[in-house]
Amino acid sequence: MECVVQGFVASEVRLVCDLEQPEPTWTVRHVGGAMKGAGADQLSVLVRTMVESKASKNALRLFYTLGYKLEYEQLRVGFSFKFQRGAPITVTVSCVNKIPKLHAVEDAVPVTPGIQLVEVTAPTTDSNYNDVVQAVSSFSEYLAPLIHLSKPGVSTGVAPTAKTAAASLMSDVKGMKM
Amino acid sequence: MPVKWVLHWVPSVGATANTQVMNEISQCVESLNGVKEGKWKSIITFYKPMTREPAMAAEFARDFLGISIPDQPKKYYFIIRGQRIIFEADSNIELIMDKLQSYKSRVSLTFEGIQYQVGDFQLRVGKVSPTHSESMRGIVMEVEYLPLSSIDKSRQVLEDFFDIWKDTLSKRSLPGQFLHIEPNYTEYGLLDQYTSQHTAVQYATVMAQMIATVQPNQQVRN
Repeated sequence: MECVVQGFVASEVRLVCDLEQPEPTWTVRHVGGAMKGAGADQLSVLVRTMVESKASKNALRLFYTLGYKLEYEQLRVGFSFKFQRGAPITVTVSCVNKIPKLHAVEDAVPVTPGIQLVEVTAPTTDSNYNDVVQAVSSFSEYLAPLIHLSKPGVSTGVAPTAKTAAASLMSDVKGMKM
Repeated sequence: MPVKWVLHWVPSVGATANTQVMNEISQCVESLNGVKEGKWKSIITFYKPMTREPAMAAEFARDFLGISIPDQPKKYYFIIRGQRIIFEADSNIELIMDKLQSYKSRVSLTFEGIQYQVGDFQLRVGKVSPTHSESMRGIVMEVEYLPLSSIDKSRQVLEDFFDIWKDTLSKRSLPGQFLHIEPNYTEYGLLDQYTSQHTAVQYATVMAQMIATVQPNQQVRN
C-alpha cells in the first residue's frame, strides 16, 4: 500500500506500507527527478535518485501535521524477483489498484484490469551508474522474448503476442530462474 | 532498554550555567566513584516551515524538532510536542527532509560531555551549546538505571538516586539545581517499556523547559 502526500512547497513524498509482514512496516520514500542532459537522453533506462527510510507507523500522521496533503493511495499486489546479472536487479510484477477510501484495501479496484505492471530496477551510485545501466539494459533484452520493456516515458513499439512470447521463451530462455 | 531520566540544570536567579559549574558537577559524579567511560553527544535541530507566504507559517508545525541520540546511531527522531507526536526513522530521513525542502533547519543544539558508570547506573553529564559554537547555554544530565526497563518499576530507585545526587551537589553550594520532569508518555502513545523514543520525548521536554527559563512569559505544558 502506498500513500503519496504532497507538501506546500511542491514536495512529494511516498509512504509505503508493506502489508505482507506480520506487523505492517512503513517506509518513507523520496523519488527524485530523472537525470537530465544529453547524456541522460541517450541512456536506454531511466536514472533517478531515490532515498528510503524505514519509519514508525505514524508516518502519515506526521506528514499530515507537517502540512502535507494526501494526493492518492494505491495498492500494489504482485511478486518480486531478485537477480544478480552484472548488478543486483529486482523485477516486480504487480497489479496496481486504486483505493477509494483511506486504507480500505478490501475495496481496492484495479487501475488497468487484466494488465500488470512490470518494473526492472537496480541500485546504483553516482560513480557506477553506467555499468548498472548496461546491466539493466542487457537484462531487459534478455527478457525480450517474454516481455517488452521500455524506458519510462518512452514508447518503443508493440510487444509480441503472448503465445509468440511464450514459444520464444520455451526455446530460448532455458534454465532462467524466476 | 534501561530506563533513563534526563535532567536539566536550572540556574539560580541571576546565575548562569558555565564551565565552572559543569566541572563541579563532574567532580561530584567522580566523588560517587564514577568511572569515566568516554564521550557522548546528542544533537537537537529545530525546523521551520519553508512556506512562501509568512502568514501561512502559523498553519504548520511550529515546535518541530529532530533529534539524534548516541544510543541509536542509525536512527533519527522527529517530535512535534504540540501534537504529542514522536516519530522514529532510519537516520537518512534527514536527507529526505532536506530533499523535500518543506522544512529547513533553523538552529541546532549539541549536547555533549562525558559518560560515567556508577554502580548500576550510567550517568552522562553534558553541556548544551549551539552546534559549531563553544558558548554554553545549559547543562543536562542523563541517569540510566541499567537493570530495569520498566518505567513504573524503576521510578522509586531513580527517585532515591536523585535524592542522593541532590545531597551530593548541595555540599558544593552550586548556583542552581537539576530538575526532572517526567513527560506524559501515554499522550505520545508510548508504553511502560522504555525505548529511545522515550529519551527523545524527554529531550524535547527539556528543550521546552530551557526555552521557558530564558523566556519566562512563555507557558510550557507537559
